[in-house]
Amino acid sequence: MSGRVLVIPAYEEEARLGAVLEGVARAGLDCEVVVVDDGSRDATSAVAARAGACVLRHPFNLGYGAALQTGYKYALLRGARTVAQMDADGQHDPAELAALVLAVERGEADLVVGSRFLGRGAYRMGALRTLGRRLFQGIARLAGLAISDPTSGFQAMNRRVLEIYARDFFPTDYPDVDVLLAAQRNGLRVEERPVRMHEGSRASTLHGGLRSVYYVYKMLLSTWTAARRRAEAPAAEARRP
Amino acid sequence: MNPTLTPEQLRAIFLAASDPGAARALALASSLSLAAAVLWLVRRRSLREEYTPIWMGVAAALLLVSLRLDWIHALTRATGAWTSSSMIFFLGEVFLVAICLNYAVRLSRANVQIKNLAQEQALLRARLDRVETAAHGPPLDA
Repeated sequence: MSGRVLVIPAYEEEARLGAVLEGVARAGLDCEVVVVDDGSRDATSAVAARAGACVLRHPFNLGYGAALQTGYKYALLRGARTVAQMDADGQHDPAELAALVLAVERGEADLVVGSRFLGRGAYRMGALRTLGRRLFQGIARLAGLAISDPTSGFQAMNRRVLEIYARDFFPTDYPDVDVLLAAQRNGLRVEERPVRMHEGSRASTLHGGLRSVYYVYKMLLSTWTAARRRAEAPAAEARRP
Repeated sequence: MNPTLTPEQLRAIFLAASDPGAARALALASSLSLAAAVLWLVRRRSLREEYTPIWMGVAAALLLVSLRLDWIHALTRATGAWTSSSMIFFLGEVFLVAICLNYAVRLSRANVQIKNLAQEQALLRARLDRVETAAHGPPLDA
């Protein structure tokens, strides 16, 4: 094993996951690909298994954050040194993975976030979402974290981050700027690198309709608490089952 | 009603009103019924013993109120409320909010436990698949 794990949380993504996994294979990054099937009722697991990925299947739908965390726990059990994560809907370009992973491995940061707003490619966002992004950007800045893309799920991290993210505080639904702040509060370095992104479905799933109201409320609350919480206490995580 | 009564006089009339025996009997019956219902649910295994103290506490409080309505009157006077019934409603609402919050906390804890269990199940299953594949080759439906 290369010491690298790529975590791809997937919920009912049978239509798009195959292409994403092909893209990952084409990118040629030496890593173990783990697809966390978050209780899908379609053939997501089968598509992932056919592509040669390791499949972790939740018995029922737990949420995007919980799926990511299952991947982190798996990576910890496997002794991974670096973990990358990307979405299964084709929003993230696998060709950009290496830049994020290498930045972590070179020790430039503990957690590297791929940002679609740092000049690579032109990512279009609606007015409301832009407003939301600016809001969370501002809140993060107030808490001492300068970040241009607070909702990016395209990231790479080292083991120190995994050990924190495997704990119970990690949200089961939307781990965004709040968990970045938690990492920073634990003394970890969070940085951004420019990446290209395509329009995906996660954004519309998470930030559409009434959910967007809940999302803003939840993020305000969890960002506020994350900025005030003490560093996460060490926990006996990643027990080998 | 005499239109010359001041609010304070009106409040004094309310507070001085005698307790109807029916209200006392109703409170007594409610407390005993609640205790009986809790015991019945425990016997049917619909309610676990560890969740009974709070409801037995409510039954005991109701019993106490039915026996000592003067305590409610004293509390009504002390808080500036007009009638004992409004005081009882207020206490009931406070109790309901408190119990909802308590169950939300319990639910949050159970949520984390369920999530951890489901994750552990997924990790174990992947490990089992790997062990089985190593021992017997890939499954036939793969």
